[in-house]
Amino acid sequence: MNLFYSLFYGIQDVAWEVFLAVLPIILIFLFLNATALRLRAPIIKRIMGGFVVTYLGLVLFLQGVHVAFVPAGEYLGTALAELEYRWILIPLGFAIGFLVAFAEPAVQVMVKQVEEMTSGAIRARVMLLAISLGVALAVMTAMIRLLAGISLWWILIPGYILAFILGRFVEPEFLAMAFDNGGVATGPMCSTFILSLSVAVAAASPGRDPLLDGFGVVALIALAPILTTLVLGFFYRQKEAYRKRQCEKQARDA
Amino acid sequence: MKKLINSFKEVIVSILPMTVLILIIAVIWAPFSPEMLVSFIGGAVMMMIGMALFLFGADISMMEVGERVGNYLVHRRSLKILIIAGFFVGMFVTIAEPDVQVLAGQVSAVSDGQINRSMLIAVVGVGVGVFLVIALLRFVFQMKLYHILLIGYIVVFALSFFTNPEMAPVAFDSGGVTTGPITVPFILSLGSGITSGVRTSKEGTDSFGIVALSSLGPVLAVMILGVIFR
Repeated sequence: MNLFYSLFYGIQDVAWEVFLAVLPIILIFLFLNATALRLRAPIIKRIMGGFVVTYLGLVLFLQGVHVAFVPAGEYLGTALAELEYRWILIPLGFAIGFLVAFAEPAVQVMVKQVEEMTSGAIRARVMLLAISLGVALAVMTAMIRLLAGISLWWILIPGYILAFILGRFVEPEFLAMAFDNGGVATGPMCSTFILSLSVAVAAASPGRDPLLDGFGVVALIALAPILTTLVLGFFYRQKEAYRKRQCEKQARDA
Repeated sequence: MKKLINSFKEVIVSILPMTVLILIIAVIWAPFSPEMLVSFIGGAVMMMIGMALFLFGADISMMEVGERVGNYLVHRRSLKILIIAGFFVGMFVTIAEPDVQVLAGQVSAVSDGQINRSMLIAVVGVGVGVFLVIALLRFVFQMKLYHILLIGYIVVFALSFFTNPEMAPVAFDSGGVTTGPITVPFILSLGSGITSGVRTSKEGTDSFGIVALSSLGPVLAVMILGVIFR
């Protein structure tokens, strides 16, 4: 009974928040359906059923994040920042960042969409790896920043400059996917678990302001996947060029 | 049913590694109390079930609606409808996003209450609305994303010199809040619905970039507020 209570404590707030977030999309659909689309009843039923399933899923997911990962993030952040060898936060940040991207619902949707829209030319797994590597680098950088006290601007400005330089060397669609990945990587796991981890580290570190120093991590997570995806795009272009050369060579030889 | 089982398999792969890593870190450096351990594992199981249901349902609800709305907007062939619909869709979806409420609290704290919650939410909503319209117009007129983003980020960095230093990180964080798990599937498929209607000479995979622009909107909006209320 106690376990049940602690797992579902506060779920009504989550349920209400998610309901408010889904509502506009349902209203847009119903409005458009009434005025223009006029779908048949079975299709409407299927879509509404889908909304119910998505809704329940998201409520369960977010509630799980709140009872499992947010307290764990705060607890571990405080404990690790008090260790004698605090540098351990740097490799741990990398490992946590790498795996946390797998657990973002929006990332899963995005990489599937990429595979579908490119007709399989860019595999979902490859794209997921690029995003994960980006988030890993971001969380690692955030930890270095917290320990060494580097200003966020020294990372963000060169980072975005680099993004726009790299952006000239990839196909336009890769640029679009890269900046999209920056947006999807900052989902609920990042803004709750990683944020509570880094705010706890900032709070436990002398001379760091949890509000100021803890928060920049989201900005880094929005930046790093852009860079890793652009690098991936660069390699895709090289591969494509190589393949073309091979084809031409074969054509000449024949 | 097979689809649901498949999505359960995917979900275990996506959440289990993270859970195991946290448990390993905890065992080595900071052991959980028994109660914490139980609720951690219980919460992780909830997340797996939740994510499986979410991914399974998103396909036939949010993504299907996004695709249909996008298709409809293109087939009407009316710029006026595209602009009005894009703006209001972006605004409503943002205002309802729970993370925007959290952001509003942070901004109000950083600005000593000068920027109140409802003003911030309204401005961020307008920011997303405007940028969603830009994203949709880009698909129709085949504008270069590179240039739009370049100008956007230059403006953001230029403005950041005129805001108080505490505002800038919050502004950058705000880009993340509008791209939550409900908005992303919806606007991604909105984009593919629109591009499938205007598919032209090129191969037509250029339906991305819509999330990127929607997350630039709030960053700019918060920066502008920061300059006004410095």
